[in-house]
Amino acid sequence: MSNSLSDTIPLHPSSQSDIDEIENLIHNSIQTGPATVLPARSPSPPRASIPVSSSPFIQSNLPPPPLNSQSNYQKPPLPAATVPAVTAPPPPPLGADSRQNIAASGFGSASNTLTEPVWDTVKRDLSRIVSNLKLVVFPNPYREDPGKALRDWDLWGPFFFVIFLGLTLSWSASVKKSEVFAVAFALLAAGAVILTLNVLLLGGHIIFFQSLSLLGYCLFPLDVGALICMLKDNVIVKLIIVCVTLAWSSWAAYPFMSTAVNPRRKALALYPVFLMYVSVGFLIIAID
Amino acid sequence: MDESYTSLPTSHLLGSVPAVVNEEEKRVNDYVAPEANLQNFPPNNGGNRGHGYQSLGNTLGDGQPSTNNWRGVFSISSYTQYFNVDTDIVVNRLISSLNPISGDFFNKIDANPDLYGLVWISTTLVFVIASLGNCATYLMEKLSDSSTSWSFNVSYLNLAACVVYGYALAVPLAFYFLLQYLGSNTSVVRFWCMWGYSLFIFILCSFLLVIPVEFLRWMIIILAGGSSAFFVALNLRSYLEGNDLNVVLVAAFILQLGLALFFKIYFFA
Repeated sequence: MSNSLSDTIPLHPSSQSDIDEIENLIHNSIQTGPATVLPARSPSPPRASIPVSSSPFIQSNLPPPPLNSQSNYQKPPLPAATVPAVTAPPPPPLGADSRQNIAASGFGSASNTLTEPVWDTVKRDLSRIVSNLKLVVFPNPYREDPGKALRDWDLWGPFFFVIFLGLTLSWSASVKKSEVFAVAFALLAAGAVILTLNVLLLGGHIIFFQSLSLLGYCLFPLDVGALICMLKDNVIVKLIIVCVTLAWSSWAAYPFMSTAVNPRRKALALYPVFLMYVSVGFLIIAID
Repeated sequence: MDESYTSLPTSHLLGSVPAVVNEEEKRVNDYVAPEANLQNFPPNNGGNRGHGYQSLGNTLGDGQPSTNNWRGVFSISSYTQYFNVDTDIVVNRLISSLNPISGDFFNKIDANPDLYGLVWISTTLVFVIASLGNCATYLMEKLSDSSTSWSFNVSYLNLAACVVYGYALAVPLAFYFLLQYLGSNTSVVRFWCMWGYSLFIFILCSFLLVIPVEFLRWMIIILAGGSSAFFVALNLRSYLEGNDLNVVLVAAFILQLGLALFFKIYFFA
């Protein structure tokens, strides 16, 4: 019994029992009256299971006295050996509860993400994509230091934008739809990797996946442009829209790419980015 | 990690490091690129405090010799020496690549051949040829038959990528092995650099090739191809001083001209 109990305790046993005791102390101090008898037994199992051998000769150990003195005077005569048998049911919920509390305090405000509904997970990821998108593509005070802005980067957003752009291009293509999708997807995915490697090779300081994430988010304006171009059929309108979205994308990528490298190599790092966006823009206009 | 840690300090103790550092520093100072000096150990880089991270990476990557072992081949930092250029250097090299008769390109890039030119000139060329080739084909068809509608041929992009990347990688490599076999002391990175910059003129001439006049197009492509071929051949001559191997130069000339004609025939037909 005591073995199985200790198996359920995830942390260091001593700290676990301390936490349990403090917690129970709080519970007990809140609850008063005759109802205290039943919950008052719950603190004992962890205590009894760990110092089980020491209880006979050190009855006045440091942790027990405040607990016992405050809540239940009738408890001391209870033999240590009978405690686990009597209060067998309470421990599992207690252990789970305390573990959850530890997780909550240790890993931020997020509660257990393993048991939450799928929709919550999806919603959290979507909201992160939206907030990252706002930080990268739309004007905000953090744009000057995009390393801070995209600290919480993810690759879901870029994935969606790349897929979406490839699908939009292949929908609007009249022939060889699959080849258009393949070329667009390869251009965008390999392009982001190559652009990042280019900055690294020029001696820039950049985090690989953060850069991939940022370059993917910068595709968002071109996504919008491709969508509009698919619906409109006028060449002049297409040209204007692509020029505007191209400028928007370049503007979004500029601060990150230019701060990553030495000022004297700024043009060398920015030219490939510009080239990729121009080629994507050309594909948007050309594929009809 | 443990291996690399124990292998590096022994080379320090043997006294090889000061010599390497001096050589590297001299080289780096020559090309006015203090940002990326490769092997600055902390005691030696007084003014370069901001780049401790990078110099650490480079000492681990071990700069030039590291591409000889497997750990270096897969490390990005061992390739940074081939991208050790600033904007003005690249612009300078681009302009000198337009001058076919000077023949001193290898002197210009002497100790600092870069692969930036090769990579991005060929990438730009792929995009420009594929996109403008479509435009030119459309314009020509439009002149002969005004009812033609615009259609974008994606396979131009695939073909252009295969041809340009294949040519820019394979031909310098082939000449490198050939000249090694003939006994010249050559460097493959320099050949890549030179051939890469020799393609720059095709980017410019592609814009002129859109003009839908067949005679003018042939004139432009022959001029550009001839200029590029002369640039390659005259620069290559510096490796063949004393040897009587003009056939190698002719081969390089013909290959470059053949590439130009291929562009004309397949993309701007």
